[in-house]
Amino acid sequence: MATTKLGFIVQRPPYKSENPKLALTHAIASQSVEVYLNDGDIVTADIAFVGDGVLNCKKDQKAMDLYKLTSTETHVKMALLLDLNVLVCKEDLDRFGLTENDIVLNAEEFGAEMTVKVVPFAEITKMMEGVNHLLFF
Amino acid sequence: MKLAVFVSDYRVNVDTLERLNPEKLGIIFVQNGVYHATVKENGNSSSLLKKSANHYVLLDDLDTRGLGNSDVADNVKLVTYGDIVDLIFNEYDKTAWL
Repeated sequence: MATTKLGFIVQRPPYKSENPKLALTHAIASQSVEVYLNDGDIVTADIAFVGDGVLNCKKDQKAMDLYKLTSTETHVKMALLLDLNVLVCKEDLDRFGLTENDIVLNAEEFGAEMTVKVVPFAEITKMMEGVNHLLFF
Repeated sequence: MKLAVFVSDYRVNVDTLERLNPEKLGIIFVQNGVYHATVKENGNSSSLLKKSANHYVLLDDLDTRGLGNSDVADNVKLVTYGDIVDLIFNEYDKTAWL
């Protein structure tokens, strides 16, 4: 029985490229690999938004209304629904003058129990140290 | 020359825009360029907003990113796709994309 821990670090703003959304889709997809694993083996995925990446978490994104794109906000909510650990760097939010009121914090409308955690970069560093594989986007 | 420059990235890695000095300059923020019109890093507005130019920002790309009219700096005009077409055809001779 083994646990493989993945850490996804999102450092770029949304929409200009698929890059940040790929991090989320990869993290979400990581939860569907159980069929290929031995009984008891699991894969966990933590996602951290740092630097310009914190802009992905802005709430009230209207990508679906305007461009028929699933918003990055919705992807974050799907990650919460799958009980993924989602971290947002507090220092970088502060740098942009953003607060918890400006970002997506939960996915209650989908029944998710997990919430986004706004944490100091030191805590994200701890997460990075604790995972088996780090993936930067 | 009357030049309209589209800025579509937040981190601009070239200094071309700093060096341009046309008779009339328009800076149109689109895609991730809209953060220049809205975000204050460490309390400071984007340096592009200090450039002597007419500044515009595309409303659809603001809304897409969860940003609103109230986030936009005072010296930036909100425009639609239709407005941008009008700017290209009526206000500027040339366009560039950075």
